[in-house]
Amino acid sequence: MNRKTDIVVVGSGIAGMTAALTAAQSGKKVTLLTHGVGSLAISSGSIDVLGYVNGKAVADPFAAMADLPENHPYRLVGEADVRASLDWLKELCGKAGMAMQAGEGNQQLVTVMGTLKPSWLTPLSFHAEAIEDVLRVAVVSVEDMKDVHPGLIIDQLQRYPALAKKEFVKAILPNPIQQAHRNVTPLDIARFVERPEGLQWLKDSLAPYAKLYPVLLLPPILGMKHSQKIWEQLCSALNVKIVEMVSIPPGVAGLRLREVMKKALNEAGVYLVENTEVVRSEVEQGACKALTTVATGGENRWEADSFIIATGGLLGGGIGTAPGKAWETIFGLPLDMPENTEEWSSPSIFGDSLFARMGVKVNEALKPVDAEGSVILNNVRFAGRILGGYDFATEKSGHGVALATGWHAGTLAGKE
Amino acid sequence: MNHNTNLDKCVACSTCVVQCPVSEVTSKFIGPRMLGPASQRFRLLNDGEDNSLSYCTNCKNCDISCPHGVDISNINMLARAEYCREHRPSFRDWVLAHGELEAKLVRYLPTFLANMGQANPITKLLLSRLGISPKADLPKFAPKQFPAMFKAYKQPEGLTKKVVFYPGCFVKAYAPQVGMDFVWLMNKAGYYVECPDTFSCCGTPLYTNGFEEDARKNAAANLMEMAKWHNEGVPVMSLCPSCQLMFKEYPVYFPDLAETAGSTDIGDCMQFVIECIERGELDPASAAVQTPLDIIYHAPCHLRAQGIGLPGFDILRMLPGVNAVNADAGCCGISGSYGFKKEKYDIAMAVGSKLFETIKDSGIELVSTECGTCKVQIMHGTGKSVAHPLSILRQRLEGSN
Ligand SMILES: Cc1cc2nc3c(=O)[nH]c(=O)nc-3n(C[C@H](O)[C@H](O)[C@H](O)COP(=O)(O)OP(=O)(O)OC[C@H]3O[C@@H](n4cnc5c(N)ncnc54)[C@H](O)[C@@H]3O)c2cc1C
Repeated sequence: MNRKTDIVVVGSGIAGMTAALTAAQSGKKVTLLTHGVGSLAISSGSIDVLGYVNGKAVADPFAAMADLPENHPYRLVGEADVRASLDWLKELCGKAGMAMQAGEGNQQLVTVMGTLKPSWLTPLSFHAEAIEDVLRVAVVSVEDMKDVHPGLIIDQLQRYPALAKKEFVKAILPNPIQQAHRNVTPLDIARFVERPEGLQWLKDSLAPYAKLYPVLLLPPILGMKHSQKIWEQLCSALNVKIVEMVSIPPGVAGLRLREVMKKALNEAGVYLVENTEVVRSEVEQGACKALTTVATGGENRWEADSFIIATGGLLGGGIGTAPGKAWETIFGLPLDMPENTEEWSSPSIFGDSLFARMGVKVNEALKPVDAEGSVILNNVRFAGRILGGYDFATEKSGHGVALATGWHAGTLAGKE
Repeated sequence: MNHNTNLDKCVACSTCVVQCPVSEVTSKFIGPRMLGPASQRFRLLNDGEDNSLSYCTNCKNCDISCPHGVDISNINMLARAEYCREHRPSFRDWVLAHGELEAKLVRYLPTFLANMGQANPITKLLLSRLGISPKADLPKFAPKQFPAMFKAYKQPEGLTKKVVFYPGCFVKAYAPQVGMDFVWLMNKAGYYVECPDTFSCCGTPLYTNGFEEDARKNAAANLMEMAKWHNEGVPVMSLCPSCQLMFKEYPVYFPDLAETAGSTDIGDCMQFVIECIERGELDPASAAVQTPLDIIYHAPCHLRAQGIGLPGFDILRMLPGVNAVNADAGCCGISGSYGFKKEKYDIAMAVGSKLFETIKDSGIELVSTECGTCKVQIMHGTGKSVAHPLSILRQRLEGSN
């Protein structure tokens, strides 16, 4: 089968969805090809912009961008477009009833590991400043929820000087899910709380703690589609400030955000082709003509005027590796890595590893370039974790880079 | 195990768990990651089976979501087949799996007798005893089945091009008109349609209910017939997403058969129609009926799993006057015969509830989808009428119907 469209986007993580949406909003016909749903679905859904540069915490990510290397995606895209992409997402989420808000500078979110994590744009229920003003805080979990242990959280939090003097208490709510055949995750409870009986259960179970503790820290269990409304209702009915903690997968809020974006894609008329892997490209005179996918069974060919590749890194499948080599998987672009694989990673787990920043080298238009800086493919852009020159895990810049570069690529392609 | 699944590609990221529609509505199911790749490691040690094996609906949303291409649902289905080799499935499951045989048996009965299960309280009670939910709306047998209708139909003379149609059980027994609509469209596009009697049930209901050997026999017969046409260069196609998917998965379930058969790929009728439109053999722009019509489209999971996009939805969007929107509200829940089972009925309805709400909230009266059992479930859950995209295409092109 052969299909034609204006723009083909590959990958439905946050970068690909953003690129597809912005391109479609500029009036283009967009096809989105993907063989998985991307890491947004399991992430915490808070948009980290820039938490650390060279290992040092930054208060204002935009001020700190000047300290980033020149080939860092933020430097290529420019501060104005990073801000524009965040505003764009804010508007999208606001319209869907899931307001996202930034703080003064980086916000410190509380995680279920009992750590504080810098982030920028987050749903209201994750804003944790309320802890600063109170003495007594209850840390809540649910029976059988194996990944959220209030005891551990409290021990860890108390290691932060600013929190050492707080009076924390453990609160374990009874498991409301009968006949559970598996461990209970925050997602199970969030889906239960989305229903009226679940919301009632949560309200009743929290009430005794709300009388004594002005701030309640919860796993991300405040519903799905109506999380903001549920958060507002509970806070006002119980007269407390509820703060959701950032969870390990399933992070719940990432799925909430993904569902908002997925709905927007459908409404914008983006043509989504799922469960299909792009395996080949046809390139003529420095331009991509078509991509070939394999699905269950045969091959299909997708022609377009321009292409945006948002295939993620090692986790998403955008980068392939073998001892001594790494490459981008669709066009087979070689990534600049040392032949000695030992040099790829740092001996320290949290150190600065080369593999974490390996990716495609691009110019300001996000088009791939060779070592001399000449464009290799003139109608192809890359966005998200597939880009080289940054390490989202140590910088805390994951969704931020993906969003900004997806927005930049989609907007530029949309204008052509 | 004689098969090669790629379970070691699973990094336990839990993406399939958050996208599984069954896990979403019931905690009785351990979930795709645990039942699939995680349990498989224990299966390889012969360490017993998880008792929620039968709760996987094989809807394939886990495979669709996996970032590493692990075929989780196939791991589950192979495990079920293995389990059922030693633990015979229930008579209820036999009945639900062997719909083709039952359709053959009732074909000479008057329709009211064949369909007496629908209204008759005694039959309902019997079905309930058997383990079929009395709340379920089983599909109704058509007054005349497809093979008989097709034989009685005279195709125009002088058609030089040819396609082979694989009707599948749903078209054969319950929705023969959809098959006839396809024949009409092909004739109009200049193709003579062959529909060999040797084609039997694709085997999906047999395999997923634990009747591996029966499924294998069907697969062998189907592949032999298909190879014959492939050798002549005639395309073979089906309009049922689940049948198509089963053909494409024969190599996983029956590697030995697939090896001798060559390609097990069966074409998609909707995709073929689009190709006809592109070649100018059919012209939606000149449809006889162009009056405004709102349609809400549901993409069957087994179509989404094929990675070919939504050709049926594309066809609707090409029709002048038609405003087609994609419901995009996930699985309908029925999963073949799963939602008819007494202990699964409520789960299936809960899975479908998002889709039902989306359809009701849209205010649109006509639903369109390719899958026969999705249609049954949507009618049951919403009370709306549901038409196959190709039936709508025919009505718009032909006009007088
Ligand atoms: C568990 C986890 C939690 C995280 N939490 C946060 C957080 O809270 N905040 C934050 O800011 N960052 C977080 N991050 C980082 C952030 O998720 C990523 O940096 C970012 O989402 C990357 O997005 P992406 O769209 O570039 O790639 P991905 O999300 O990896 O998406 C890539 C997509 O491309 C598809 N694909 C790949 N190859 C092909 C192909 N050949 N054909 C078709 N499709 C293909 C994949 O299936 C996938 O859909 C987290 C990361 C992880 C792993």
